[in-house]
Amino acid sequence: MPARRRLTGGIWVGASAVCATGVAAVLLLIMAYIAERGIGALSLSYLIHVPRPIGIPGGGVANGIVGSFIIVGIAALMAFPIGIFVGLYLGVYGYGPRAEGLAFVADVLAGVPSIAIGIYAYTVLVEPFRQFSAVSASFAFAVLMLPLVIRATEGAIKVVPRELREAATALGAPDHRVVGKILLAAARPGIVTGLLLALARVTGETAPLLFTAFGSQFWELDPTRPMAELSLQIFNYAISPYSEWHEQAWGGALLLIFAVFFLSLLARLSFLMQKGRGPGRAE
Amino acid sequence: MAANNRHAHNMEHQPAMSTAQIGAKPPVIFAATPGNRSVAQDEAPVKVQIRNLNFYYGNFQALKNINLTLRDRRVTAFIGPSGCGKSTLLRILNRIYELYPGLRVEGEVLLDGENILAPGVDLNRLRAKIGMVFQKPTPFPMSIRDNIAFGIRLYEKLPQSELDDRIELALQRAALWDEVKDKLKQSGLSLSGGQQQRLCIARAIAVKPEILLLDEPASALDPISTQRIEELIDELKPDYCIAIVTHNMQQAARASDYTAFMYLGELIEFDETETIFTHPKERRTEDYITGRFG
Amino acid sequence: MADQAIAIAEETTGVATPVLRQRDRTAARLFIISLRGSCVLFLIICGGLVAELVWGAQLSLRTFGVGFLWSSAWDPVTEHFGAAPFLYGTAVSSLISLALASAIGIMAGVFLAEFAPRKLGVSLGFLIELLAAVPSIVYGLWGLFVLAPFVSQWLGPALQDTLGFLPFFQGTIYGVNMLTAALILTLMILPTITAISRDLIEAMPMRYREASLALGATRWETVAQVVLPSVKRGIFGACMLAFGRALGETIATTMVIGNRPVISTSLFAPGYTVASVIANEFTEATTNLYLSALIELGLILLLISIIVIGLGRLMLRLLER
Repeated sequence: MPARRRLTGGIWVGASAVCATGVAAVLLLIMAYIAERGIGALSLSYLIHVPRPIGIPGGGVANGIVGSFIIVGIAALMAFPIGIFVGLYLGVYGYGPRAEGLAFVADVLAGVPSIAIGIYAYTVLVEPFRQFSAVSASFAFAVLMLPLVIRATEGAIKVVPRELREAATALGAPDHRVVGKILLAAARPGIVTGLLLALARVTGETAPLLFTAFGSQFWELDPTRPMAELSLQIFNYAISPYSEWHEQAWGGALLLIFAVFFLSLLARLSFLMQKGRGPGRAE
Repeated sequence: MAANNRHAHNMEHQPAMSTAQIGAKPPVIFAATPGNRSVAQDEAPVKVQIRNLNFYYGNFQALKNINLTLRDRRVTAFIGPSGCGKSTLLRILNRIYELYPGLRVEGEVLLDGENILAPGVDLNRLRAKIGMVFQKPTPFPMSIRDNIAFGIRLYEKLPQSELDDRIELALQRAALWDEVKDKLKQSGLSLSGGQQQRLCIARAIAVKPEILLLDEPASALDPISTQRIEELIDELKPDYCIAIVTHNMQQAARASDYTAFMYLGELIEFDETETIFTHPKERRTEDYITGRFG
Repeated sequence: MADQAIAIAEETTGVATPVLRQRDRTAARLFIISLRGSCVLFLIICGGLVAELVWGAQLSLRTFGVGFLWSSAWDPVTEHFGAAPFLYGTAVSSLISLALASAIGIMAGVFLAEFAPRKLGVSLGFLIELLAAVPSIVYGLWGLFVLAPFVSQWLGPALQDTLGFLPFFQGTIYGVNMLTAALILTLMILPTITAISRDLIEAMPMRYREASLALGATRWETVAQVVLPSVKRGIFGACMLAFGRALGETIATTMVIGNRPVISTSLFAPGYTVASVIANEFTEATTNLYLSALIELGLILLLISIIVIGLGRLMLRLLER
């Protein structure tokens, strides 16, 4: 029955092709739709004004954009040093059950729902101070980023040829020199990529912000107070009953997609470029 | 190396070229240790003494009761089929094996009479005394100059000009200076394989070690680069105690004063190189050097 | 020339015994301490997550006991709280999305790894990976304004006409309902399953395929009988990771599921998920018991996802060896 077998195979292959192109096509159509709706809403005034009450035309998301930078920035300051250090520990001394356990914990944390981490941030940083704050949102984001930073650093260190470490150690160099001068230099492209992807991961994350940053209608730059954030604004606009605000939501969504794609592409490009000329090459 | 080449190993082939280049070196290899003189009669002092050395990877015993001496100003070659433990032995001498878990060593290694396997030994100091060069060239991801400066800066705080002098000396010693003196700021990775390996030797020498461990230093190189490395070994011999692991029989014959043949974690035979290659006492040694197995 | 060589030899031979500079010794100690310290800090942060939620849920745990899990009461006024409608909504929406996304995603992964022309495979794969990074608020927005009307006006009626005899497709068709939520979740987890499946299949050594093809198997038979079975653990792991994501997804679900704490067999009826109720009501919880009940929901969600994700990671890890 070779003909029939071939036919069955052909049908399945066809089906798999439909699935792959279908997934890509549907997702692309969604992006195209958002781009179309969003472009209409974007304007200079949208980018430089704070929200206005309903009924008053104009208004924008400037405070949300700035808030996003502040919240994500503080989160990066918290997560990057700890994450890189834990990643270095795993990459350099990561043998045995203890290290495997640590890596496993990081992997599981990477899958923990952001809303649960939001509650954590609330109980640790909001409840005791009786005040919603940007810092509590940054804490939640930092917890979300930590596992990504850890695993990226570990992975980048582990692909450095082990002879490089041995050669430096054989000169009598202490570990902090071996790691700081040699391994980090060689692993830098991978680590930078991981950091950028971690930023992309939390950019646009909304759930934990609901009860940490909380949102604000005003310019607010003090991280110990409630702060506006772009994705939070999109959410609030989207579930409102006013079509003017719906427009604002589409504009914000387009901005978010820009930001995330920019970070993801930058991550890939920086990796390729650093890899191309840089010291990270294996040979 | 193809097996049939092993039959063709050739005692007459001496690195005459390097002798001509630098006059102040001892005569050709075997003249330093005439064949009819026993090991004990060598006037060169004992530098390293290995006693009852056992080594374990987890439950697997990789080295079995090794006893051996390395002499100063002599080259000792370790040969044997892959997996025989020759590289492992080298990696014990500077305790680099300790980077990895699950490895265990028993016995003694005396360096100038002091047991380096004892607890409390200053590893950085030990490794400063013992330079190591690996099979794969391992230039650090930094400039040629910084590659050399890295080791020096660990131990000495030198003014810029002195540091430059030391870097030049090390590169000269490794016969690399003329090739790189105009591009010291370039990445070490920009050099050819053979140059990279000499850079690694220069890097090791710059720390002023007493012992050089060479782990198949030429096996990743082309024949011309290999020859240059061998010449270099010969030039360095008057000042260091050198141990070289090689799978290349001619290289051992050409470059070394003493040869240790290892097989399955055991030291089968250890003697002057000439004796090993002309009158081996052990059948297994003879089989190996004539290419009958391994 | 010879003199120079001797001079060089003397200069580079060991004279003084080199000793590591003191500053380096201190730094070396500080380095290892800070690495270890970071690991401890990280574990404290992780432990704190579980501990804080357990602590916050204390009041609710003591008041309702295990009955919380199957009680379907949710009345902030009388302070009677139960998790059943939310657990139901979470389970149904994420299981449907898992079923749909794993079928489509694995097929898509097979195509990208095995059958797609190289260029097409690479660009499609890149596109799908890029789309995996799109924030859930964006999917939620699209779901609310595009998918929900589509479901209530086209997909819903069509399903009712053809499969209306099934209990899942009966009753009034709301736009924001369980089906819409499941579809949005499907879209969101598809890239994960597709990308991991493709990577797993591509990592298979060529020789297995060659052996099978040499026996006269067609390429599809090779995939179905040799390639897929050998990576099934990894693909199961990928599906678990995606399932975990669907379970915990908050914003997109909240925007399209309807947010009504009822248990209805019909997929056209609104529902509610654990994550959504926390998102909607956390800042409104006026009493301690109300807040505690919400935190207990968060704790349940946390524990379920730890189990699901842990299982998935374990499967992927076993495959690595």
